[in-house]
Amino acid sequence: MIVESAAPRGAAPLMSMETSRVAPPHGPAEQFAAGRRAAAAALAAAGSAGRTVERARDGRPLFPQGFAGSISHTGRLAVALVVPGAEAVGVDIETAAVTPRMAAFVLREQERRLLLAPAGPYTARDLFAAKEAAFKALNCIGTLGEFLFWQIHLSRPEGVLTATYRGESVPVWIHPQADLSSAVAIRR
Amino acid sequence: MPDTAAEVRQQIREVLVGVFGGPSFVSQLQDAGSLREAGVPSTALVALLVAMEDAFGFQWDDDVRPEVLRSIDSLAGHVLALRN
Repeated sequence: MIVESAAPRGAAPLMSMETSRVAPPHGPAEQFAAGRRAAAAALAAAGSAGRTVERARDGRPLFPQGFAGSISHTGRLAVALVVPGAEAVGVDIETAAVTPRMAAFVLREQERRLLLAPAGPYTARDLFAAKEAAFKALNCIGTLGEFLFWQIHLSRPEGVLTATYRGESVPVWIHPQADLSSAVAIRR
Repeated sequence: MPDTAAEVRQQIREVLVGVFGGPSFVSQLQDAGSLREAGVPSTALVALLVAMEDAFGFQWDDDVRPEVLRSIDSLAGHVLALRN
């Protein structure tokens, strides 16, 4: 399974994305360890002297100052994204099925009508990943209080998928694959 | 319909077993522990919330507070509060 950054190089020329396989038995501890390995590799590729990512009290990963980063994992694979100098970033990968009921839960009527296939270009799993990635980025800003990822609104003004919550926005790029959806949100 | 907190918690656990396809992971969850910190992924959380609508006969509000979704305890408390 290959994970590629969905974001074009022009969006963040110095970004680095690394992956690490989750060791058996693929539980939460192994997923956490794989995420930290991917983060250390992404930090190294981005030129950071610090390679350790601490865990905040609320569970968020704390990347070294100046190296905004994010981690996501499935039961088999972890991915980490680092964008030096960015204000906040988010990455998400999803392999689990998103049923129509789940899509109706996390996507507003307008999002389903304009973005979801067949009218739009994305699957429900793609848009699920997009909201999760955007949530991680917007949650890093620290001024929005507590909120849930599905409360973010997705739209596509001028062809750029954009996530918005309470007036704060972040562009999101989706990389759809048959067996995996990945999304990247970068706020410069 | 379960009436006590213990019965609601047990029914939520049964819903979780359905979401995860078995009891092995769910049996490790603490009633008061954070579902996210225990490793429940967001897709499973949403699947749980959708299944709870069917199991308990209500619909989640769009502006539900995040702390309501934190644990089996808090989810059960929400179900009981709706009934009362």
